[in-house]
Amino acid sequence: MERRKFLGLGLTAAAVLPAVLNAKDFRAEKPDTWTAKKVQPAIEALYGKITPVEEGVTVQAPKVASNGGSVPVKIKSDIPAKTVAVFQDANPEATVAVFDLSEGGIIDYSIQIKMKASGTITAIVEGKDGKFYLGKQSLEVALGGCEG
Amino acid sequence: MANMKIKASARGGVVKCKVMMKHDMLTYDQAKAKGKEANFITHITAKAGGKVVLDMSTSQFLSKNPLIKFDFSTEGLKKGDKLEMTWTDLSGKTVTEDKEIKGLK
Repeated sequence: MERRKFLGLGLTAAAVLPAVLNAKDFRAEKPDTWTAKKVQPAIEALYGKITPVEEGVTVQAPKVASNGGSVPVKIKSDIPAKTVAVFQDANPEATVAVFDLSEGGIIDYSIQIKMKASGTITAIVEGKDGKFYLGKQSLEVALGGCEG
Repeated sequence: MANMKIKASARGGVVKCKVMMKHDMLTYDQAKAKGKEANFITHITAKAGGKVVLDMSTSQFLSKNPLIKFDFSTEGLKKGDKLEMTWTDLSGKTVTEDKEIKGLK
């Protein structure tokens, strides 16, 4: 009984903490984005109905990735932006990450993602001018990275 | 516990950062196969000089032990300032570590 109480306490503390630490938690704000199965609905869940322009955003990834468990992806853009979102269409769910840019933030991110199969990585940049910009890169994955 | 490897160095007005976080990043599928609970990093925040320089919400598809690289401007930073990284995972665990930014004047 004592132990149960203690565990419960720990849980509440943990639930409160992140809200204080994080500037903007997209997981809490837009929960639908993270469960969307395809790229298009995921984008709609995050930004609403938008028609992004395909320019100004560079997504760099190897043409053939030997290990799907960690595919290096680089996202670059010079557009003054508010947010950047990264999606792919190979995994069970589409959204990989959403960046919230601070003042003077530079869009030059490298992350490593899992890819279950060959697919396309899409990056959307929400500009400060209210427009949306899109960049994408298709790649082949030799060995999928989502099975245990 | 060294949970993160942080490298941050300033050059020409830009701080280049490289951070490696130690985390299993078990996706729902992988967790099912292994009979474990899914657990992955859901949020990463970086602060320098009291300012948030990186704020990302992440999903299960970051690789195991994810490595991220990012840049930010040195504006408003002084010598001895630290880069403070914080991540939160699905279980609610939060880890914070900091490292001095090299090359600041």
